[in-house]
Amino acid sequence: MSSMTRRNFFATIGAAGALALAGCNGSGQPAESTDDTQTTDEASYTLVKEGVLTNVAELGFAPFEYIDDEGTTVGFDVDLSNAIAEKMGLTCEWLPNQAFDTLVPTIKQGGKADISIAGMTISDERLEQVDFSDPYLNSNQGIVAAAGSDLNSESLNAEGMQVACQTGTTGDEWISENLPNATKVPLADVTAALMGISTGLYNAMVIDLPVAQNMIAESFSDLEVVEEIPTGEQYGIAVSKDNPGLLAAINDALAAIEEDGTMDEIKQKWFGTTEI
Amino acid sequence: MPAKHHRRVAIDVPPALPADEAARIAYDHDQGLTSHHFTPGEHPIVRIEHLNKSFDDTLVLKDVNLNVWPGEVVVVLGPSGSGKSTMLRCINLLERPSAGHILIEDEEITNKSTAEVNRLRRDVGMVFQQFNLFPHLTAKENVMIGQTKVLKKSKEEAEAEALKQLAAVGLADRADFKPTQLSGGQQQRVAIARAVAMHPNVLLFDEPTSALDPELVRGVLDVMRDLAENSGMTMIVVTHEMGFARDVADRVVFMEDGYVVEQGLPEKVFDHPENARTAEFLGSIN
Amino acid sequence: MQHRRGALLVALALALTGVFATAAPQPAQALTTEKATARPNEDGGDGVIGGMDTRLTWEGTVEPGEEVTSVTLTLPEGATFDGSTTRITALEGLTRMDVTGEAVPSGSSITVNFDQAIPEGSLLRLEITNMQFPAEGGECVVSGTYESAGATHGLADSAPIATIANTPLQSLVNWLDEQPWVEAWNSNQFLGMFLKPQLLVTSFSSLAPGWLLCLGIVVAAYPFAIALGLLFAMLKISKWRILRAIAVVYINVLRGTPLFLQIYIMFFGLPMLNINIDNNLLGIIVMAINSSAYLAEIFRAGIQSIPQGQYEAASSLGMNYVQTMFSIILPQTVRRVIPTVTSDFITAFKDTSLLSSVGVMELMMFSKNLTTVTGNITPYVAAGIFYLIVTLPLIKVVGIVEENIARSERGGGPRPKRRADVADNADELVEKSVEKDVEKDAPSAPAAQIKEAANAC
Repeated sequence: MSSMTRRNFFATIGAAGALALAGCNGSGQPAESTDDTQTTDEASYTLVKEGVLTNVAELGFAPFEYIDDEGTTVGFDVDLSNAIAEKMGLTCEWLPNQAFDTLVPTIKQGGKADISIAGMTISDERLEQVDFSDPYLNSNQGIVAAAGSDLNSESLNAEGMQVACQTGTTGDEWISENLPNATKVPLADVTAALMGISTGLYNAMVIDLPVAQNMIAESFSDLEVVEEIPTGEQYGIAVSKDNPGLLAAINDALAAIEEDGTMDEIKQKWFGTTEI
Repeated sequence: MPAKHHRRVAIDVPPALPADEAARIAYDHDQGLTSHHFTPGEHPIVRIEHLNKSFDDTLVLKDVNLNVWPGEVVVVLGPSGSGKSTMLRCINLLERPSAGHILIEDEEITNKSTAEVNRLRRDVGMVFQQFNLFPHLTAKENVMIGQTKVLKKSKEEAEAEALKQLAAVGLADRADFKPTQLSGGQQQRVAIARAVAMHPNVLLFDEPTSALDPELVRGVLDVMRDLAENSGMTMIVVTHEMGFARDVADRVVFMEDGYVVEQGLPEKVFDHPENARTAEFLGSIN
Repeated sequence: MQHRRGALLVALALALTGVFATAAPQPAQALTTEKATARPNEDGGDGVIGGMDTRLTWEGTVEPGEEVTSVTLTLPEGATFDGSTTRITALEGLTRMDVTGEAVPSGSSITVNFDQAIPEGSLLRLEITNMQFPAEGGECVVSGTYESAGATHGLADSAPIATIANTPLQSLVNWLDEQPWVEAWNSNQFLGMFLKPQLLVTSFSSLAPGWLLCLGIVVAAYPFAIALGLLFAMLKISKWRILRAIAVVYINVLRGTPLFLQIYIMFFGLPMLNINIDNNLLGIIVMAINSSAYLAEIFRAGIQSIPQGQYEAASSLGMNYVQTMFSIILPQTVRRVIPTVTSDFITAFKDTSLLSSVGVMELMMFSKNLTTVTGNITPYVAAGIFYLIVTLPLIKVVGIVEENIARSERGGGPRPKRRADVADNADELVEKSVEKDVEKDAPSAPAAQIKEAANAC
């Protein structure tokens, strides 16, 4: 896994913007099963692009999806979607980086991307807009602040505290509900929020715990997770409600990946453990 | 020629003129080259000595010498590009001379600092070919602004003076008009009022009627004629208006290719030009 | 696990309060209430409105040696759980356990029976969506009971949840929700996504502070931008090489880099230098500095467009440089640059949207939040309308001022001399083309060139 240092942060941002279509290291296998040969009832689904599973995500969410030093889109979700595409006899492609809060509307509207696999928590609100696959990973939230600061969810719930989050994330909602006295600062990307804490612009950030841990380990040694928030939320793959066939096919693929050990491999690769 | 009230420079004990210059002035007078009634000890108000001016490599003024006496009206004639406007602009340092001396009221001006130049310019008014009125100000304000900003007069004083000068050029009823609401001739008359309101010792006119439609020229010339005949103002006028030169000038100076080629009383220059180029030029105009 | 300890203390305190309040001995709590919160459901606001669907989140910890098989939560009279759905989450530390169960709503109570008992030490979270608090609002305490080992025990009361009664705005939205035409309108995918009436209403009310902040920032920034712009314009036309160099660097760097980068540098850079300035003030500073570079160029061009004759006329009156600048040149420049400056103001006003990237609560930030909550683009459209409220009149003003200047320049100034036939012809051409320009209201380049040529004659 390539590291993302502070030094090349701007380069990474630039790459994220410049990247047109980040193809994943598509499976070398030729697509054996085409749409015709699939015989299950839910076999019929539509794709934006023939033979391609088109993904959309916010690509600044290491270790789930981010752009590495070479400009390649990598991460847990990337490997997972490659595996899913492989099971479905497709290749997968990623659309350019898109703000997190636009992902659900993009999938709902359809026409641009088939799925969004973006470390997205299954929530009742989102379920009103889109369908979600079976959960593929459990996650929690964490509060990130400057290392050594005595901040926690109680002291942050005060007038004048600036608590950042990524717009539209579970953390965003968590702040609204649990830190009503603090000023919530929703931002487009995680790195900007963490930079802001690092420089003193914001007091803290609430973000998915794996992302917080990864970013702190890779780039923000001056920050720490001051409080873990056990939410037990579950990531799912967002699919348009108009495409139930695709949802079923993805759930089948997910089940197969769980069964044949691919999921454990990917977990091992990205988290160093399968217990997550 | 109507009688003129020559203003005298009040210097009791004149600084000694260089012998040769005194001799030359005396000579000029004897030869009828100047209208001035030479009084021993009186000094020219403008003295131009060996003036040279070059733009880049082009020499446009070549050793120009000219004395203008208090109260004199000097008209400078000459073809385009002869250097007459440049000479005029050197007198208030809109152009910096390349070499030579210019003395105004015996004060050398070519070596002055910017602040001193600004002070000297109060005493040398100028009327431009393109009028150069300030378009954001009314006629009255155009005449007032120099008085208030430079002479530090009160607003009331300046306004009274402005109205007086505008009346003198026949524009009392246009005091509150913006320049764009005035004809070219009216604008130029405002410009004259603006210059006169500063009560300069010398007033320079740089082709004041050249930008005007023919029917508007007369009004401006009338104002200038009135100024020449009734105010005793020292005037140096660059123009192509031969009639004005003949009628109003105390002295005519003819310039050609950067030199002062010929000068003298108007009758002499117009009727008996000594220089072939002068004759040719006057012929082509008439 | 600092907070867990803290939470435990709170729980302990609550338990003690309970003890003292009832002044009766109670069995040790097997299920300790950790917290109860409600998701704000005020469209575009952060209030919890009663009588409207929202989500209640309740958390409790199963104490050692106990197991919980069922939990009943009770809200004050008037609240309803009817039609709600419940999400059950049980965690051991950060690890999620597979827990299923069935929720049975019953008026202002809801009972959740777990298919398998929640083991000791677990954090139990119940997220009950589409429930409603009492319509009259007020402080709502979540109480209830739980079953452990076949016995029913009382739950400690939660900290009260502040709720409010319905707002007039929300009533309007609710009314719109019920209108058939609104439903028909929204069933069109485009209209529903971009112009949803309910969201337009809430957007207008909740975006207003952001709009005012945008206006406030740019209005506060602009005088400084003008002063700075003027300063650098003067430096750029100064006769001192070093001053010119400073101005050129300042102007070119600011004009040559994205405002986004300048915002990042100011917002992240200054705190690094231990300079902590309020975000809004910082926004004003960034906008002022950015605009000043553009204004400097506009002023410089404006100053240099004033004919040399104006300087000469001022000089011939004996005015010094400062007097000339402030009495003669700048007043004329101001008139000439008003249209361009207004255009720049419009640009600056719109550019304040970039400040949302660093958390200034301006218009786009509010709309982004609303869009996030609703998954709908309408708040952005509402933001667009807010921008237009300012920009359209200004664009109109620019048009009027430009027309006035064009008219006065047409009528004013020295007329070209009519010495040569060529000049005469050019003059006529100019006048014709000017008339044509008025008709079609668009300047034509050749005519302008001819006009210049004519003036040069």
